[in-house]
Amino acid sequence: MSTAEVHVPAAEGAHAAIRIRGAAKRYGGPRGFAAVSDVSLVVAPGTIHGLLGPNGAGKTTTLKMLLGLVRPTAGEFEILGEPAGPAVRARLGFLPEQPYFSPLLTALEVLLLAGRLSGVPDAAVRERSPGLLAHVGLEGRGNTRLAKYSRGMLQRIGIAQALVAAPEVVVLDEPASGLDPVGQRDIRNLMLSLAAEGTTVLLSSHQLSEVEAVCDEVTILNRGTVAAEGSIDDLLNVAGRTSIRARGAATALPADVQSLMEDVAVSGNVWVFAVPDSAVRAVVDSLDDGGWAIESVVPKRSSLEEYFATLLDDEALREVSA
Amino acid sequence: MYRTWAIARAVVADAIRRRIVWVVALFSLVLAAAIPSLPSYGVGVEGAVYREIALALIYVAMIVLALVLSVTRIPGEVERRTVYPVLARDVSRWQYVVGTWLGIALTLLAAAVAFGLIVFGVGWVVYDAPMFQLWQGVLAIWMEAAVVAAFCVAVSTMTLPAVVAVAALAFLFIAHVRADLLGGPGHPLWYAYPSLDAFNIIAPVAHGSGVDALYLGVMTLVFLGWAGALLVLGSAAFSRKDL
Repeated sequence: MSTAEVHVPAAEGAHAAIRIRGAAKRYGGPRGFAAVSDVSLVVAPGTIHGLLGPNGAGKTTTLKMLLGLVRPTAGEFEILGEPAGPAVRARLGFLPEQPYFSPLLTALEVLLLAGRLSGVPDAAVRERSPGLLAHVGLEGRGNTRLAKYSRGMLQRIGIAQALVAAPEVVVLDEPASGLDPVGQRDIRNLMLSLAAEGTTVLLSSHQLSEVEAVCDEVTILNRGTVAAEGSIDDLLNVAGRTSIRARGAATALPADVQSLMEDVAVSGNVWVFAVPDSAVRAVVDSLDDGGWAIESVVPKRSSLEEYFATLLDDEALREVSA
Repeated sequence: MYRTWAIARAVVADAIRRRIVWVVALFSLVLAAAIPSLPSYGVGVEGAVYREIALALIYVAMIVLALVLSVTRIPGEVERRTVYPVLARDVSRWQYVVGTWLGIALTLLAAAVAFGLIVFGVGWVVYDAPMFQLWQGVLAIWMEAAVVAAFCVAVSTMTLPAVVAVAALAFLFIAHVRADLLGGPGHPLWYAYPSLDAFNIIAPVAHGSGVDALYLGVMTLVFLGWAGALLVLGSAAFSRKDL
């Protein structure tokens, strides 16, 4: 792959927790299937970075190349400023998608193995494991064999083993998979607390609401390349539009407001709509004069689902026209 | 070495909890204990027959255990993704392969010691004499079973479990027919032919007083050479594998 073809993120900094340049993976020789064509991303230290994409976009393959599970066809991979070899991976924790461990081992044995493989003494793991298990919602389950664990519990022990060595970087592949809503909330809180403690989190997820809730930056992959990247706010804020939420007894908004508003949603007597930034003052005054209570005035923001769908539709259109 | 040892310990912890391992071990132990109840043989050879049957029984049980423990070990871990959290850490592929084999070999060693204790104890009680040479036979059988496990581990990094099992049986057959095929040490191919005959000391153990220390040393070298070569091959193949 030539240098000119390599896509390099604009936000690339000197100090990155994870840096991938021009990653490519082709199965079956030069004419084979390209799972990843050109992926570059930079994850800043102490942030939560989302890796998004539809099925087959290349998310898991990219993560596997970073972690040495798949041999890259091309690309450079760095973790904490060092080439992503076994040595630096001692400072990294990984939760694979749908983790599975030997059902004949207990949760504590899984944690002990994970600790030994990361160079953590058994005594330290034994001391740390009760708190860690409690942290992931498995308090008192350390001596239970994993054969008796549910799908969600396996997910939780997977997270615990990723964190047992207090890693500086955590890579989570679909961490909320198999968890109930309470479990998903726990995982979100866990990721936020990790980031607050300075741990870098690279999150690969299909759950856009989860990504939107916790990520500082996202990279969106599609068909093995980077389709979009940036901060959540930059990607989702709709330029030139402001969202207004108002409550009133009237069945309709003032006429001058109606002529300006778009993307209207009504629930009971609460109205949410967008107006051009230039009209915000006039609309607020009109609502105020009409006796409406204004609950919020914020920059218009699309949901990640909307953004994602639009992005993929645009890519499909470009391919058709090409 | 610490990480290799950690993987080996996990393999042992997993293996000794497998029901099939206990079924094979218990079945073999019951049979071993029952050997003296077989129809009597000529005066003076009961002990030799006992040792021969006991070692043959241990050999079959150990080979079965080696296949059970090693044929599906790595393919299963790759398929179920249990290998991901291991290799995503500070662990090289060769450490994983060697650690896996080491764990299987240690489990086989525990089984061999258990078999050895039973046949040694039964032989001592029934024939009123300790048969110390039995332990040489048990050692040789363990070494061969560990080599078979190394073969399975190595081949299983490249292909499916069913193919590994068939290949392992073919390997055992080929490696034990050198004398039949080549006629003896005079043949030019004799020393190049892959052979496990060095571990076949049932005859001197059953009908004699065992083998000398020099032979045990050579046997150990053969064991290390086989296991080492197979593990190098398996590590090289596994290091190129996309998981």
